[in-house]
Amino acid sequence: MGAFFYGVSLQWKLDIRSKTLLITCYLVPLLFFAIMGGIFTSVMPETRDTLISSMTVFGVTMGALIGLPPSLVEIYGGDMKKIYQANGVPLSLGLVLANLSAYLHLFLMSIILSVAAPLVFHAEMPENMGMYFISLGIFIAVSLSVASVIGLAVKDQAKTAMFSILIFLPSVLLSGIMFPMELLPKAFEAAGKIFPASWGYRMMTEQVFLLESFLPLLLMFVLAVVICRILLRRMDP
Amino acid sequence: MSDAIKISNLKKSYGTHLVLDGLNFCVRQGEIFALLGVNGAGKTTTLECIEGLRTYDDGNIAVYGKMGIQLQSSSLPERIKPLEAVKLFAKWNGTSPDKVMLSNLGIYEIANKQYRQLSTGQKRRLHLALALTRNPDILFLDEPTAGLDVEGRLFLHEQIRRLKAIGKTIVLASHDMAEVEDLCDRIAIISDGRIAFAGTVKQLGQTIGERCTITIQTEHGMETYESENIGESLLPLLLQYKQNGEVILDIQTDRGSLEQRFLKIAKGE
Repeated sequence: MGAFFYGVSLQWKLDIRSKTLLITCYLVPLLFFAIMGGIFTSVMPETRDTLISSMTVFGVTMGALIGLPPSLVEIYGGDMKKIYQANGVPLSLGLVLANLSAYLHLFLMSIILSVAAPLVFHAEMPENMGMYFISLGIFIAVSLSVASVIGLAVKDQAKTAMFSILIFLPSVLLSGIMFPMELLPKAFEAAGKIFPASWGYRMMTEQVFLLESFLPLLLMFVLAVVICRILLRRMDP
Repeated sequence: MSDAIKISNLKKSYGTHLVLDGLNFCVRQGEIFALLGVNGAGKTTTLECIEGLRTYDDGNIAVYGKMGIQLQSSSLPERIKPLEAVKLFAKWNGTSPDKVMLSNLGIYEIANKQYRQLSTGQKRRLHLALALTRNPDILFLDEPTAGLDVEGRLFLHEQIRRLKAIGKTIVLASHDMAEVEDLCDRIAIISDGRIAFAGTVKQLGQTIGERCTITIQTEHGMETYESENIGESLLPLLLQYKQNGEVILDIQTDRGSLEQRFLKIAKGE
């Protein structure tokens, strides 16, 4: 267990040294929050009720889908995985450590948003804070699992960026955080439901636990974990 | 001396390309053994099959001892520091980093640098340190000095000798005959997926035999002769020049180097 916890703390340190992670997990989401929070609350004052959830969904989706895959490609797309295998370290360790560290960073970023939004934009705090953070925890895990599939399946950094954007853009645009999903054409509304962002946003704004919002996220998570296992097994001789 | 590694009839193909066609050899405990071959001969494939990093199609591999592996090309996270990497791998293998070994490899001198800031030589030293964190009985070094300057090569050679002195078995892949001649107890040359030669460097030298070339330069130009026995051929040749009244400016004899012999065997000539 000591080795595992040392690995987690080391990964945390490495992520802090990496400017990419700071940009995708903190700088861009917080900048987006500063600009869009100002616009949303000025144009549509009622968005104050959901500002924390919407900005968090954007930040988590971005941090997970854009931030995590390049780290995984660095490990699994090149020679780094061989050094794990050669030195008796399980191949899955890189994936687990990168996910845990990203999870902590995204949760921290979400807490910063939750604290800053009421102070800066007089955003409403979620009524049921416990439920909100449980939903947030689930949403981060599912987003990271989807990001892991991209990071393991695509072996090239340029292609990874392309795939990440291909999933990130519809996730954010069709999730309901920019405009209500009911206003979207039916096809887009349906398409939005295949991404975790729409279900995560729904769960975080519902304030109560609804199985119908949780089950799609659980299904996505299980599917992503199974795919990750298959991809890792393929790499192991 | 007992075997550290025994390979029997090892076969490996990539698609339709047969890389290893029934390889047989053994490595003895405590020796430095080199696998030689031209680029693409299958040295790395052989090592990776032994190391368990690659599957093979047929044959048997028996390894008697714990392995430490330095790969030909390997990488670490760009921002990791050398001691952090050593500590991670040591913890994972349930060992403690050997401070003397780390000091010998100069790891403390580069402790504050990130991996991306290390030179090729420093990276090689770090990867060797990582391979040693498991306290292996058998150490695999795949082209350990490729891309290093003279100082870096000499440093690593010294470390390899030091490891042999403490009883490690060392298997290295190389295409550098000078390095192998300097370091190794025994060698095996891979050609066309098979072992074309196995033995000591001295034995390889003996295969060159007495055959040599004699080059004589006169005012009229240069003539080259091949001889099976230089002792018997040289004097009559010189007398012939004297009888013809030619003035000899220079004489050169060449028995052929180990490197030339290696290349002939490796290329199947």
